[in-house]
Amino acid sequence: METLADFDVKTSVRKFITKSIGIGDIRDDEDLFDSGIVNSLFSIQLVTFIEKSFGLEITQDDLDMDNFKSVDAVCNFVRRKQGK
Amino acid sequence: MNLDQAQRDRYREFSDFVNDNVTPYAGDWDLHQQMPRDVIRAIGREGYFGAIVPEALGGKAWDFVTFGLLNEAFGRGSSSLTVLFTVQNMVATCLLKWASAKQVAKWIPPMAKGDIVASFALTEPNVGSDIQSIGTQFESHGDMLVLNGTKRWITFAGIADIYLVFGKLNGRPIACVVEKDMPGVEVTPIRDMLGFKACHLAQLDFHDVQIPAANVIGKAGFALSHIAPLGLHYGRLSTAFSSVGLIRAAMETSIKRASTRVVSHATLNNISSIRAVITEMGISYDTSLMMCLNAATAEDNRSLQAIEKTILAKYVASRNAVSAASQAVVISGAHGCHEESSPTARFYRDAKIMEIIEGTTQVLQNVLGNYYVNRAEPLVLN
Repeated sequence: METLADFDVKTSVRKFITKSIGIGDIRDDEDLFDSGIVNSLFSIQLVTFIEKSFGLEITQDDLDMDNFKSVDAVCNFVRRKQGK
Repeated sequence: MNLDQAQRDRYREFSDFVNDNVTPYAGDWDLHQQMPRDVIRAIGREGYFGAIVPEALGGKAWDFVTFGLLNEAFGRGSSSLTVLFTVQNMVATCLLKWASAKQVAKWIPPMAKGDIVASFALTEPNVGSDIQSIGTQFESHGDMLVLNGTKRWITFAGIADIYLVFGKLNGRPIACVVEKDMPGVEVTPIRDMLGFKACHLAQLDFHDVQIPAANVIGKAGFALSHIAPLGLHYGRLSTAFSSVGLIRAAMETSIKRASTRVVSHATLNNISSIRAVITEMGISYDTSLMMCLNAATAEDNRSLQAIEKTILAKYVASRNAVSAASQAVVISGAHGCHEESSPTARFYRDAKIMEIIEGTTQVLQNVLGNYYVNRAEPLVLN
């Protein structure tokens, strides 16, 4: 069941991603990299966003596309890193 | 923008170092197309290569505004030397973010001291801005990798001790530290460039170079999305501030020339059109510096807009450097066109390179176009 905190994470992640790519109607499970809608700067901005917004540090061990490829993937990654 | 006292004190210290150790010799370095190891060692002794490196790793842990001021102060003296800060920090930032603790401990402390010089080996003979198209190949053989390919136009590769080499392993982008003494590494200096003549540009040919897999930075698949763009970002910050330093040098040289050159019983600076040109230079300097400080402050605040602000600063400062250097040559007349009489010819040649490195003006225009369109779209929709 989605908690309020989960909802906040998703809202925040969705807002960042849609603002970054300039497209509002993406599915939460849509692969941002496969679809080619992100530019070359998006990846490192996403890292900064996650680290700054959720107080996490992303290291080489976290470099896995399954952590970054979609809104859902980022939310799941943040929850795992937060130990939820 | 207000600098704090520590930033002002350090900027004065950088400027004093440049006045004593850089400016008097920059012309000779350019003429002979080489950078003496002595000056690199002297910078290393001051700890400047470790400006943004954590103290625990032998660095100064300065903020990015101070790092920018370092690049501005050195950029006023020598673009060729300042680009050593650029590449050294491009590699350092990639390692600090994505290397393992063991890799960081091995390479960062000697880089911070200037004991080893690092080059960022991304560009290839046929691949510049379109980094996804690189053709350098790594093959996996147990716990070793075998590297084949060619990198060209690599800054300071002529004297570098290590190179951060970008290539592909089974089609997946990887970044790997390659040491100059590894068998199969061939270094060919490239001379007689338009500008940045003393930055030991070189071509690197890799012939079946065997490298421990432990030298891979990050993970396969992420080198061109997470590692190279990070290095390029900090490279642009350095280049932007270096361009501002060049504008200042062009302006100071022009003011000095205009205030001493007598034409028809009056100095040049009494001619309104010359004063107008100097005014334009001053405005270029102030606006470029403000944009650079804005970008560096965004970086210090870990702002999500730091990348775009840095691109904007590099775009504006490098173009302004070209304009200011061009005007400085004209104000200096024939004198300004002669390498041994004036530094303005060097400024002019170096300024054009500022527009090319770490993303040409046209490439950056495309990125900035997206930035502004994305910013504007919600306004249009609303």
